[in-house]
Amino acid sequence: MASKAQRVPLGLRLTTSLFIIVWLILAAFPFFWTLWGSFKVELDFFSIADWTNALFGPRTQETYGSPFTGAGYYGAWVQEDFWRAAINTFIVCFFVVCTSLTIGTLGGYALSRSGFRYTFWLLIIALIFRAMPPITLVAGYMLPFFEWNVWGILPTTIIVLVAINQPFTLWMLHSFFQNIPKELDESAKVDGCTQFQAFRHVIVPVMWPGVITTGLFSFLLAYNDFAVTSMLLSESNRTMIPEIAAFLGTTYTEGNVMFAVAAVVSATAPLFILVMFFQRQIVSGLTAGAVKG
Amino acid sequence: MAEIVLSGVSKRWGSFVGVDKFDLTIPDREFLVLLGPSGCGKTTTMRMIAGLEDPTEGDILIDGKVVNNLEPKDRDVAMVFQSYALYPNMNVYENIRFPLKVRGADPATHKDKVMRASAMVELDDFLDRKPAELSGGQRQRVALARAIVREPNVFLMDEPLSNLDAKLRVSTRAQIKNLSHELAVTTIYVTHDQIEAMTLADRVVVMEKGVVQQVGSPTEIYNYPANTFVAGFIGNPAMNLLDGMISGGVFTAAKTEITGLQAPDGPVTLGFRAEDAEVTDQGGQITAPIYTLELLGDATMVSVRIGGVLVSAKADKSFRAEIDDMVSIRIPHDHCHLFDATTGLRIGDKPG
Repeated sequence: MASKAQRVPLGLRLTTSLFIIVWLILAAFPFFWTLWGSFKVELDFFSIADWTNALFGPRTQETYGSPFTGAGYYGAWVQEDFWRAAINTFIVCFFVVCTSLTIGTLGGYALSRSGFRYTFWLLIIALIFRAMPPITLVAGYMLPFFEWNVWGILPTTIIVLVAINQPFTLWMLHSFFQNIPKELDESAKVDGCTQFQAFRHVIVPVMWPGVITTGLFSFLLAYNDFAVTSMLLSESNRTMIPEIAAFLGTTYTEGNVMFAVAAVVSATAPLFILVMFFQRQIVSGLTAGAVKG
Repeated sequence: MAEIVLSGVSKRWGSFVGVDKFDLTIPDREFLVLLGPSGCGKTTTMRMIAGLEDPTEGDILIDGKVVNNLEPKDRDVAMVFQSYALYPNMNVYENIRFPLKVRGADPATHKDKVMRASAMVELDDFLDRKPAELSGGQRQRVALARAIVREPNVFLMDEPLSNLDAKLRVSTRAQIKNLSHELAVTTIYVTHDQIEAMTLADRVVVMEKGVVQQVGSPTEIYNYPANTFVAGFIGNPAMNLLDGMISGGVFTAAKTEITGLQAPDGPVTLGFRAEDAEVTDQGGQITAPIYTLELLGDATMVSVRIGGVLVSAKADKSFRAEIDDMVSIRIPHDHCHLFDATTGLRIGDKPG
């Protein structure tokens, strides 16, 4: 029912479709390549002789009697205890998200409702801290952490990650809160709420997409962090990302690279699930600032 | 029973004066309208009564009790906001019920009370909807229902009609009038629309730049404006104001001569309402060429230019003339109001 004026010319339609397809292939290819290759042996996936070996897996066939093998996963998860790293990642992410969201929502709300001028400077300082590379902070932390004997354990890492993460969550939540009209607080207060009740019963439910979005970003930061976790965690407390790096780092034994590849796929899967699960909230969270309700 | 007393209430932000020494006693069950142009401090006054703003000076008493240090929730006031401030995540039923819920009213009574409030504002068919799915008028009524549901002592309304279109405004105004009669609760209503003030109020407070200009019934402020500001603000069109000289009871200005006035000699401002004047061919007190002619349907508004100002007079609806035709405007001297030329204050307490 598109009228003539709205109809897109065929050429343009073809071009845009083509562009999207090319872009999709470019973007998705590394993931699929890795996923496919994770079921091969190293000599196939990293074959110097013929790149098609990575596709058809003759060596894998030779070794395991089938072009696909779960050996990489078995090695990573069972032999190398990758599940331990997964649990550590889960613990770190959970506490980082909880802590930074709690401080972020309370702080962001307070800053957005405060009439004082210093709130602006607080936010600017927060931005400066956010702009610094995390590694600069970590270098300074190392010595005191060794001296206090808190190096290598998860809580230390959680605190450092929260510290790195907090300015960002504060900024993001602050701008979400500013988009919520002040009358909503005031109305709730006249209706019988204390300031905190107004926050809990009225503001937070409205803010939910913003909280989810911010939480996801801070989760991703903790999940993907390498600089802090690799420097501050002992070998047995490693999270997934430094563990993968460790697999890669020991190339002198065959199979470890494949452990890394299998671990990478394992580490990516939860992210897909997470984003799919929260996509509605994320989209509404990201666009919340654009359109005033 | 809720009498509200404002004694010497002021609000300042730095050197800016929002409200200056507001003194007023609002008796129980009065419908009081705070009227003034935007930025005159009327909303600030209301917000101080609600407890959303702290007065810089002075005391606010509700029921004889100083409430300056009470939280809004402890003042037993209900407020309708200009933007309605409905809770977007709750449906209409939950919105109306919210004050009962947070105040810990007996849950068994919630449904009855919500239904009663929603029936009063004719919202029964929309209880399941979210605010985003309602029209402006319906949202407005949800805000009203949420305010009346817990039967507060004081009812505050901050320009509740200003976001509605003209037609809806008239019908909702009638509804508010009826509602306030039914509820018989002390009500403070803020507006910049003088027609709302005239139609709704028991008493009107006219404010300008944080200062109360006049307090009185709608008839009083219409018939006996206390100063030139009130005279120029109330009425549609506003009162005609002419600067001139008076000597021996005769007021003279350009193209104007009015006799029979009682005031000491000197410069004065003379005011009269368009509907009190009469347009004739000759023999009037003002004779000038027509500047503009507006057909209003029920009347024809004739304007002439006197000095720098436009002077309007209401003629019969069948009156027709061309721009630049000469007309004469007859102004009965007992419908003239005189104001001091420098202070703008009224001279004498009766017209004429």
